[in-house]
Amino acid sequence: MKQHVIIAMRNTLAATGLQHLLHDRFSVDALVVPDPDDVTLAHESDLFFTDGSTFLAHLPYFLPRRQNTIVVDNLNSPPDGIAALLRPDAPEQDLAHTIATLLNHTPVNPTAHPSAALSQRENEVLRLVALGRLNKQIADELGISLNTVMTHRKNISSKLGIRSASGLTFYAIMHALVPAK
Amino acid sequence: MSLVNAATPLADIVLEDPSVVTVLNRFGIALGLGDATIESACLQLGIDREFFAAILNTYINEAYFPQKILAGFSAATVIDYLNKTNDYYEQFQLPNIERHLYLLTIKTDPAASNLDIISDFFTEVKRDLLARIDNDRRQWFPEVLANEQQHRPDAETPITDFEGDADSVEDKLNDLLSLFVVHLQGDYDHNLGLAVLLAIFSLRKDIAQNNRIRNRILRPISRLLSRR
Repeated sequence: MKQHVIIAMRNTLAATGLQHLLHDRFSVDALVVPDPDDVTLAHESDLFFTDGSTFLAHLPYFLPRRQNTIVVDNLNSPPDGIAALLRPDAPEQDLAHTIATLLNHTPVNPTAHPSAALSQRENEVLRLVALGRLNKQIADELGISLNTVMTHRKNISSKLGIRSASGLTFYAIMHALVPAK
Repeated sequence: MSLVNAATPLADIVLEDPSVVTVLNRFGIALGLGDATIESACLQLGIDREFFAAILNTYINEAYFPQKILAGFSAATVIDYLNKTNDYYEQFQLPNIERHLYLLTIKTDPAASNLDIISDFFTEVKRDLLARIDNDRRQWFPEVLANEQQHRPDAETPITDFEGDADSVEDKLNDLLSLFVVHLQGDYDHNLGLAVLLAIFSLRKDIAQNNRIRNRILRPISRLLSRR
């Protein structure tokens, strides 16, 4: 299946090198945006490669797409929730390995509903629901009150648009929170 | 849409809300309606005109529920309609979704799609709905009919609103739609995707409308008869 990849980086040499790497190793024809500030005008993509400064300069654009965004930079603290941080001075083999993993696990709906992002605790509750735990068992296992579990479940249902335990289980399977049935 | 009456042409109803065809089909009425009205169709097919109009109005107007009119019909009449509805789900609407979902799945690259997971969920929804239909046929409907034959329901007894009883099949259908609309991933055939979406929507609407008849008409009659 063809994947759409966009490179929006200020370092032209790095952008071109990445483009060649993607083509030669993975047969992926990435689009290099000449001016990275024009990335917001580009068509939707399965994967974005960008640098730290472009990412920060266009946060409203990248945040909803962060799960499909790879930041190529030497940052001490990578942005939360991005697909990966690639260090431009890493060995080529390591870069290729990371990119290979990302290409195989790319969610192909980069504009997944922003409200679908669950907190860590909500993900924990969701996982336990999907494993068949009752609310009381979830409360005991996580060391929280039953009311808190109910609140988390309500928030999860509201964010995901899924209400039944069965529906939540299938969602959890989709996102590899639990193994398939 | 405004309420329909005996003089309303059937074609007008369908052109306003095409999903009502599923209701017409279970009364033995197919497309190619010509200038048939509710009255003429009922005369030709031996259908109770008032019941048919009440069912159509229930289906096409979510804010309308002719409780007193429907409560005036025998449990046998209501059950006959619900049986036809169940038959229609089993023989047409579920296979319709299944067929299009299958075609959609085989035309989608499984490596980059979660369609197989959504298909598995549909299989579970289908299983639950068929189990409910089976229970209707084997247990609930025969019990109500047996009670009705022994006793006469008191038409003046107030009927409690049971619409609050959520049906888990409905919840799962809503979730199936959410998964399909919001969380579907993959490069899929758009026409088939639309066909699946519309088929699920149609089934959900139909079940929601018929649950009103099950919960607000038949269930109270059933409880009343079982107490006598």
